[in-house]
Amino acid sequence: MSTKALIAPSINSGPSFGERLGKRFSNFGKRFADGSPGTKLSHLIFGAGNFYHKQYIKGFLFLLIQAAILAIMIFCPSINNTPYGWKALKNLTLKYTSMGGEFDPVTGQFTTGSDCKLMVLFGFVTIALIIVYFFVWNLSINSSYKADMDRKVGKKPATFKEDMAELLDSRFHILMLTPTCIAAAIFTILPTVFMIALAFTSYNSYDMNVLGTNLFEWNGFRNFVAVFTGEGSLGFEVHNRFLPVLGWTFVWAIFATLTCYFGGIILALLINKKGLNGKKIFRTLFILTIAVPQFISLLAVRNILGEYGPVNSMLMNAGWIQSPIGFLGLHPTDSEKLAKVMVIIINMWVGIPYTMLMTSGILMNIPADLYEAARVDGASTVKMFFKITLPYVIFVTTPYLISSFIGNINSFNSIFLLTGGGPTYTGYQAGGTDLLVTWLFKVTIDQGMYNTGAVIGIFTFIITATITLVTYRRSKAYNEEDTFQ
Amino acid sequence: MKKLTAILLVLAMTLVLFTGCGGDSGKKEEKDDGIIRVWVGEESAEFYQKVCDEYLAANSDFGYKIEVKGMDTGSVAGVITNDPTAAADIYTVAHDNIGKLASTQCAKPITDEALIAQVTADNPEAFKNVIYSSLNDKEYLYGVPYISQALFLYYNKALVTEEQAKSFEGLREAARAAGCKAITVTGDDGFNMSFAILARKVDDKSTTVKIYEGADKVLGGAKGTSNCQGDDTVAIYRWLQAFAADPNGFKWASSDGWDADLDKDNKGVLAVIGGSWHFKTASAALGESNLGITLIPTFTLTPASVEGLTGVAAGDTFRGGTFADCKCFMINANSASSKYAKEQELIKHLSSKEIQDRSFLECSNVPAYSGSVSYIEQCFAEGKITESQHKMAAAQLGMAEWGIPQPFITSTLNTYYYSKQAPSVLRAIVDKTAYPTTGTQIIEETETLEGVRKALYLVEYIWMHGLTPTEFPATLPAGA
Repeated sequence: MSTKALIAPSINSGPSFGERLGKRFSNFGKRFADGSPGTKLSHLIFGAGNFYHKQYIKGFLFLLIQAAILAIMIFCPSINNTPYGWKALKNLTLKYTSMGGEFDPVTGQFTTGSDCKLMVLFGFVTIALIIVYFFVWNLSINSSYKADMDRKVGKKPATFKEDMAELLDSRFHILMLTPTCIAAAIFTILPTVFMIALAFTSYNSYDMNVLGTNLFEWNGFRNFVAVFTGEGSLGFEVHNRFLPVLGWTFVWAIFATLTCYFGGIILALLINKKGLNGKKIFRTLFILTIAVPQFISLLAVRNILGEYGPVNSMLMNAGWIQSPIGFLGLHPTDSEKLAKVMVIIINMWVGIPYTMLMTSGILMNIPADLYEAARVDGASTVKMFFKITLPYVIFVTTPYLISSFIGNINSFNSIFLLTGGGPTYTGYQAGGTDLLVTWLFKVTIDQGMYNTGAVIGIFTFIITATITLVTYRRSKAYNEEDTFQ
Repeated sequence: MKKLTAILLVLAMTLVLFTGCGGDSGKKEEKDDGIIRVWVGEESAEFYQKVCDEYLAANSDFGYKIEVKGMDTGSVAGVITNDPTAAADIYTVAHDNIGKLASTQCAKPITDEALIAQVTADNPEAFKNVIYSSLNDKEYLYGVPYISQALFLYYNKALVTEEQAKSFEGLREAARAAGCKAITVTGDDGFNMSFAILARKVDDKSTTVKIYEGADKVLGGAKGTSNCQGDDTVAIYRWLQAFAADPNGFKWASSDGWDADLDKDNKGVLAVIGGSWHFKTASAALGESNLGITLIPTFTLTPASVEGLTGVAAGDTFRGGTFADCKCFMINANSASSKYAKEQELIKHLSSKEIQDRSFLECSNVPAYSGSVSYIEQCFAEGKITESQHKMAAAQLGMAEWGIPQPFITSTLNTYYYSKQAPSVLRAIVDKTAYPTTGTQIIEETETLEGVRKALYLVEYIWMHGLTPTEFPATLPAGA
């Protein structure tokens, strides 16, 4: 399946979301009216219809799921004094019941208090369980109704064995995709929802110490408003530093992407040039730079450019400079512009070989007859490069270019290991070369301001997702996918 | 076959994914595995393991194995507050972390009467004032001091005479001759910054700086009085600005580290203000025969530094100050309750005078107990320690008289001093760079007298409120 089809499978065909939803509701009434007594009972007791049609295993499985979810909802089992179930829904208000912290000198233990982090998390897990409950409810009714329909046309309802066989045959895709979807829900969707929720709380290490250990409150839109008004330490940091950091992040991403991209293409063209001896040796040499772990290369460069590193020593010994140059902005008084230029240049060292490798493969696949035809028409080498080679490479590598751009927006290593975000600005966490991602690291890991981090994360997502989607949807690789097939 | 392979692959991936969810969900179950784990400074791990092994050999009924691990004690408090369940049963931190660790229930109070009596009998008043914290309105002993720490001066004896090392001006003279900078610090964090903000007048050891003076120790109690912008402090920073601008004056540690500056081959600086934990690195940089150790030098205010100020005069001489802190043993709140009594018994032994003395001999850890100076002198007289070790201990104990232990109140205010970037404001004054404030977002230059005073007021406000002020008072008081 093409990328285009994966991204927008229903752009031009099939019923709309609204139509599909409407059909579900109309089916719901139809199923209840036309269904057997078993199907009608399935609306209340999961699997009743399957039992009615003697599909005992299937019915038992539906019933088991219903019983398990209802048991969790009613009996509210708890972990670390924090319950699931209806109590978890109630706890979503974050009205904590106990601050804890009473010390018993005999046992040497504290009494445990409420944990708002778990209260929010378990609340969302409970909501997810309710969604699962209704999903399975619908499946149970559908299953029974399908058996009704089979009976009507004189077919015997499928046995559990037949269902399993179908799952291994015509519905194999469902078998394969289900674990992936469950994993995505648990490991991607739930943490994302949790992170978004944190942006609306007072979850940071300072406010929590005022309220008590593990306690925080809902803040409404106060964190977002603070970004625009600059109020409080949170608003102050984000209000004053968000736009400069965002701006530099984009400048960095554009330069880091384009320098490595075109540097890689040029290198690949040089290495693939006809008549060049030792192509394999050159290719291997550049691949070796990939083989060395990136952080080692970056730390080595940091030392080379240090105050007592070889570069400063040579310049001072030659009498060209009187005192060391702060290439990487490691002191607050060092030049921010120089540090920015340096990280872009150093990044080329670690980035170009990747593009070179990929472009080499693409260059070898450009049909030779294109060049031959151009030569017959009298095209020069330069013209052939701009009219054939470059458009072909750009067309094929547009998705790579976009993913590389996004990768550079989140390029933690290059900045953190080279400049540490410096030069620093007094009073702010975000330094002159900090990207959004390194800033987020400082704000959350160093400062424990998780709600600020969540706000920055949401803003970043909105901006980068918009730019990426617009760029990709307007690219030739998307609109003229089959042109070069 | 293809389908079977696909199913097996998906199953395997699912199992791998969900394996991470198993077991350790949330708070670790309290369990007693028969081992008491102890975290100490990296430099002393081997020594304390030996001490514990000896203790177990002598007390066969102790009932627990003891495992000692070396940690960067500067980062231990952060490790514990992030995940207390991952920390050792007994850990070591500088005393100013006690307030935060106690309020976040990462530490258990000490309740063993014999241990409390030992702490009370052995330690100086200054330390006893900073090892208690409150919990639900009750005051408890949390930290048991066993190492004292203060800043002093390491210098290059090959290029600086003993007389020159006594003052900043003398160091500058030596630096001019050597063509380098006079002095640096090991870092620009709040502890190292104390050399300037806590400087005291040589005549009477006075300073107008106050931090939480008269504060209650109870959570939410009175914060006492703080003052950081008296005339003397303003003058000291103006003097330091000029000294830092001098080509042979003060410099911040280079990106390659302060030891690269001090290195005899680089000749970046002639002296560095550091602590006993820097001894090995300083020795390696200069060679022990070139390593001079003394008190933090004095400096004399110039007419330019006191211009416009009334509380000080040109010619007033000050000595650099220090936070004279102690490292303490604390008990992890997540440690099994069945270990509690034995943990306190072990701490009582590890913090005893005898073990502190041995720790000094074997690891150069200067003892925290009162009167340890006589033991150090005795060791030197008996040839048990080198001249450098003797000078280091003497300098550290000498500097303790010119410093104060870092005070802290309630849960976070001392942490605020660090996390709300008061130290970087102090650095901005020395560098004469701009600094921001909240609310009206005034960007002040630190070149002027008023700018310096405002920056120091900002530091004072952070100490007191954990925030930067929304606006400055129309007239800043000079401080008493």
